[in-house]
Amino acid sequence: MTWELFLLFFQQSLMSGLVTGSIYALLALAMVMIFNTTDVPNFGQGEIFMVASYIALVLLVFASVPYLVMIPLTLAAVFFGGAIFQRLVLKRVALARGASVNLVIATLGLSYFLKGVMRQTGIAEVPRSFPALFPTDSVSIGMATATVQDFAILGLALAAMAAFFLFFHFTRTGRAMRAVGMNPRAAILVGVDIERMRWLVWGLSSAIAALAGILISPKLLMTADMGIVVILGFAAAIVGGFTSLPGAVVGGFVIGIVENMVGLFVSSKAIVVAPFLAIMLVLLLRPQGLLGGKATAKKV
Amino acid sequence: MKRATLAVVILLALFALPMVASGYILYLANLLMVFVVLSLGLNILIGETGQFGLAHAAFYGIGIYTAVLLNNATGAPVLVTLLAGASLAALIGLVLGAISLRMRDIYLALSTFAFGEAVRWVFASWTPVTGGPNGLRINPSNLFGFKLVTDRDAYLLVLVVTLAFLLLTIQITRSRLGSAFRAVRESEIAAAAMGVNVRGVKIAAFALSAFYAGAAGGLFTTFSSFIHPESLGFMTTIMVLTMIVVGGLGSVVGAVGGALILGLFSELLRQLLSFQEIIYGAILMLCMMYAPRGLMGLLERKQAGR
Repeated sequence: MTWELFLLFFQQSLMSGLVTGSIYALLALAMVMIFNTTDVPNFGQGEIFMVASYIALVLLVFASVPYLVMIPLTLAAVFFGGAIFQRLVLKRVALARGASVNLVIATLGLSYFLKGVMRQTGIAEVPRSFPALFPTDSVSIGMATATVQDFAILGLALAAMAAFFLFFHFTRTGRAMRAVGMNPRAAILVGVDIERMRWLVWGLSSAIAALAGILISPKLLMTADMGIVVILGFAAAIVGGFTSLPGAVVGGFVIGIVENMVGLFVSSKAIVVAPFLAIMLVLLLRPQGLLGGKATAKKV
Repeated sequence: MKRATLAVVILLALFALPMVASGYILYLANLLMVFVVLSLGLNILIGETGQFGLAHAAFYGIGIYTAVLLNNATGAPVLVTLLAGASLAALIGLVLGAISLRMRDIYLALSTFAFGEAVRWVFASWTPVTGGPNGLRINPSNLFGFKLVTDRDAYLLVLVVTLAFLLLTIQITRSRLGSAFRAVRESEIAAAAMGVNVRGVKIAAFALSAFYAGAAGGLFTTFSSFIHPESLGFMTTIMVLTMIVVGGLGSVVGAVGGALILGLFSELLRQLLSFQEIIYGAILMLCMMYAPRGLMGLLERKQAGR
């Protein structure tokens, strides 16, 4: 490989990695939020992401709702969907037997249920493409090329992350959510309504997954199995330590860039397996993640 | 006494089945027994020992490919290929168990899930050996010179091996090792304080569970003619997990019952993927909401209520 080619590949993978990485960061953020407050890794997130993308598609293409209405409508619908799942199913599961294994299995159930329902509607029968929200003219930066749409994705994702940062640090509700994540009992003692926080977090997290879906769908082929993308969000969350919100964001960009580098420098076939190897490597070498702080064991 | 009679009747019926049943019924029976062995194996790891390993389909696949390749290359008797597949799976399970010792709960689940998907990638990409995405034809395996061509030929072998695994499982759960498994599940610290070698027990659970999965793979090759890497992914692991959860985690009878009920479901609904997914999803959620201890939990509650 010549130096020129190396530079080109390097810059290109950095550029594309930042764009896809911003989506993984959003997905990881959604995952970590839920894990922190309800102690369950949400295996159904991929399907929430998938269903949200289809809701957006149906509103946009079949009901010809304008963009500016479609986005809030989709986010709201998915917010309530997530909140209802927490209220109706997870709360009951936690009451029946609080073991985290049972909660995980319930989210797996959600995942299959949503996928089956989506297949049943027939919309997902043929692979579809999502109309681009932004122009796809290409722009060059250095040696790398990207589209206007790519910049819009990156920009909007960063804006959403900034909004969440502000929300978690400066609003009462956001701080209460973090408190529940740190120590649920202490949070109850200082007057946090923990049940309300739980469904709020599920709603918010689902809405973030929906936003990620709306942003990235124009770059994907839509099928009922598109939720598989969320595995990269999982990988990002793990790289970030699984309990740290900033870690999730950093992890998202790391995974995005690594994925693109593997694709350009190794082979496009290796892309598929890269996230799994990343998950295993990080868990083996640094189980607490890059920003996870010191490893701690739960007491009996 | 009543239980023993019931067991004898069931056994006789199982051995007499090939005389009355059609080829499809025998195929279904073979497949269900493979699910039973898979469930028994995963139940040891998750149900008994509480280690959330999600790479079961990978070990199943290792068992299948080892048995098929060995049979194609040497024509070794089926029991040899089956044992070879199971042993290789157990060996890899041992290694996975050893490197997973540092992890627990969600981290263990995710790393074993990642391992399983990586193994499936190997199945799908190692084209010269596994046939890659085109799949691999399975030649009839041979048993003491007889070629096992149809489901009928394979049935008795599958039945005997499955029963052997069932007996083995019952023996293990009643042994010291079984108690050690459950002690580790309830509390690692307490188990260690009681003198249980927690690391050794965990590794043993991983290896044993992989051994079962590998053997189930070997059984699968005796009556099937084709294997595709697509069917060895996370979905299969989840299907087996569903079986043991619906049956009741940690119960041998539950694992068998869950495997039979859900195996039947998935086979009958195979043409209707969307229904299969909806029903699976609904069963998982409802079961966790109203019967967190599975069918066995419901049965026990009913008996206690009397």
